[in-house]
Amino acid sequence: TVRPKNEVEQKQLSAFGEYVAEILPKYIQQVQVTCFNELELLIHPDGIIPVLTFLRDHTNAQFKSLADLTAVDVPSRQFRFEIVYNLLSLRFNSRIRVKTYTDELTPVDSAVSVHKAANWYEREVWDMYGVFFANHPDLRRILTDYGFEGHPFRKDFPLSGYVEV
Amino acid sequence: MFMFSMQTTGLVGLAVAENPHERLRILYTKILGVLQNIPKDAAYRKYTEQIVNQRFNLVQTETDVQKLQDKLNSGHIEEVIVQAENELSLARKMMQWKPWEPLVEEPPSDQWRWPI
Repeated sequence: TVRPKNEVEQKQLSAFGEYVAEILPKYIQQVQVTCFNELELLIHPDGIIPVLTFLRDHTNAQFKSLADLTAVDVPSRQFRFEIVYNLLSLRFNSRIRVKTYTDELTPVDSAVSVHKAANWYEREVWDMYGVFFANHPDLRRILTDYGFEGHPFRKDFPLSGYVEV
Repeated sequence: MFMFSMQTTGLVGLAVAENPHERLRILYTKILGVLQNIPKDAAYRKYTEQIVNQRFNLVQTETDVQKLQDKLNSGHIEEVIVQAENELSLARKMMQWKPWEPLVEEPPSDQWRWPI
């Protein structure tokens, strides 16, 4: 069976995507709606805090809840890491995804000042990928062992690791 | 025993607002004042002025709190006040960030291509 296409929701999401792109042209590079009706905003890394604050505070877009903060490693690109923020609006019952990019050495602004929930998520991204977050209150390892070297979720880190246990 | 009418909003941490019309009037005038400092052709100014003027008119014409909540269709009046405060702080920050300018930097051509 095939999931039925929900045209109405797709139109609403693309209308909202155009609305946000019209208000923030300085940071938004691309807006797309996936075939599963998921809105994605593709951002320049300088615009993380402005865009997240706008989505949290604006009356038409009260995305008060940060559902997830992850990273994706695509080693063939110049900026190999793609940081993904998933936001949820309780007032309007809708979700949005905000994506940024960075490479191994460039720091990215921390979202903790906008959403307190980003604290441990950013520690996890630092630990697993090595993306440094500027202005994070307490950026240290969270999942790996105390003396662990390396960033496990990177694509060039082997599955069984470097150290024999 | 409590002598005055004991109402609650039903929401944790939100106290019942006495005189919400006054508070909303002050907040909306402040927002409109901050928006004057943004260039007139910015989309943010246009849309926010539209929203704020719409809500401001509703607040001024409707004196009953319950009916005002129904007309605004945005939860409790205390939540509307919190939202107005958020919009005010957002407007002040927008003045510094100036997001209506053209794009800061184009991404590399293969950055957003999927599948790779």
